[in-house]
Amino acid sequence: MLQTARTPGLNLHTYSEVEEVTGFVGNFKVRIRKKARYVNNECNGCGACWEVCPAYGYNEFNEGLDPRKAIYASFAQAVPMLAQIDMTKCIKCGLCEKACEVDAIDFDQEDEILDIEVGSIAVATGWDEYEPETGYLGYNVYPNVITQLKLERILAPNGPTIGHLKRPSDGKTPKSVLFIQCVGSRDLTRQTYCSAGVCCMISVKNTKLIKQHAPDIDVTVAYMDIRAAGKDYEEYFTASRKEGIKYIRTNVSRLQEDPETHNLKVVLQNTVGTTGLKEFEYDLVVLSSAMVPAKGIEKLASILKLEKSHDGFFKEYHARLNPIDTKIPGIVLAGVSQGPKAISDSITQGRAAASSLARLMMKDKYRILLIRATVDNEKCAKCGLCQLNCPYDAIKVESDGAEVNEILCRGCGACLANCPSEAITLRYYREPQYETQIDAILEEI
Amino acid sequence: MAGTIRAQYPATIRPIRINCTGRVTPSLMMRAIGKGADGVIVAG
Repeated sequence: MLQTARTPGLNLHTYSEVEEVTGFVGNFKVRIRKKARYVNNECNGCGACWEVCPAYGYNEFNEGLDPRKAIYASFAQAVPMLAQIDMTKCIKCGLCEKACEVDAIDFDQEDEILDIEVGSIAVATGWDEYEPETGYLGYNVYPNVITQLKLERILAPNGPTIGHLKRPSDGKTPKSVLFIQCVGSRDLTRQTYCSAGVCCMISVKNTKLIKQHAPDIDVTVAYMDIRAAGKDYEEYFTASRKEGIKYIRTNVSRLQEDPETHNLKVVLQNTVGTTGLKEFEYDLVVLSSAMVPAKGIEKLASILKLEKSHDGFFKEYHARLNPIDTKIPGIVLAGVSQGPKAISDSITQGRAAASSLARLMMKDKYRILLIRATVDNEKCAKCGLCQLNCPYDAIKVESDGAEVNEILCRGCGACLANCPSEAITLRYYREPQYETQIDAILEEI
Repeated sequence: MAGTIRAQYPATIRPIRINCTGRVTPSLMMRAIGKGADGVIVAG
């Protein structure tokens, strides 16, 4: 990330949001809102401010496992390493301002609006972890039912427990852990898709990490299928089973908490064997939750006028033959914005996206098909119905008639169908062509 | 489309290829009815 930030000619806008995008390939106009950090660029990330701050807030990076101050850096490796103030938690005591030795605190800072022009756009909005609804498999009700991201922070050496495996209810190390796969994935009532086998491999990895902490912890994975399709994944999975991690092919029939111990009693079935339904007790349950599109994607989709697939991720030009471009020339999809995938595939997709844009921007010209609307300004009454109906903002009423932007126009003919003056023609699909066809087909009647 | 799914439909249904259903105007549909068609299906 540091290298990216240091690349000459690259403008990095963090803590910012895209508010508006107009234009077309080669000529996009983008409005960016740089949200106020209340800290200016003098900040060097020393942390003197958050040391003295008396107010606390929800630590997003650590999944709420520990608090952070009202003035804080997103995480220890943030690029750029600048503090930011969460104004919903700040009590404006001014202690940070006094502690800061480079005068970086600025309570009067305001959001900044930037208007820039770009030739092309790559959408790399990534994903969020599906949050099961309260009560589903005990989530958000039983303290010892957590999702994978929470487990990752617990196991991380720079996390809130410094890497010690502690369970939420009492901070004790669990003696038994159950991983439940496909939570929210492959689910007819939630997300129907499979999250590309990412959660399968995350569990294989995390079970291994847990065993490294304490080899005598009983680790079980309740799965539907283990999707280990990737380089070295199958071998990694085999090694995991050899280490003594139990994989049981089952869904969870019932999950209840013992209110005194906060242990979880889970009913499982061994579908590969004949043991039937049986109840097991676990100290900790980890839900392998689905990959869902990043929050805020709805807003971006309408700003870019980008379609979404039925799974909620952005729609690619063609699912098999071109999962990189979109139907809008000049906009490409990088990484998980197009759909769930693991690290190596995300990198492949990202590089493909960059390459697609490079190919596009290298030339001075942009080639289009001729299937476009044309307007006979003699007939045009400037009523504006075409402009109202165009789904691509390609036709606008000007002083001497309607004008078509031949790059934005996709030749759908909606303007033509709506024009009361019949002033619009669509090349290759003209009215007389259809009239002749209709006449010929119905000739014998 | 029907060919690729090996579906059959009566020979009295005649397809006309269009680029987008947005292109279909009421005047075209009325022309077909006027020339003797019993109905018009706009599909896509």
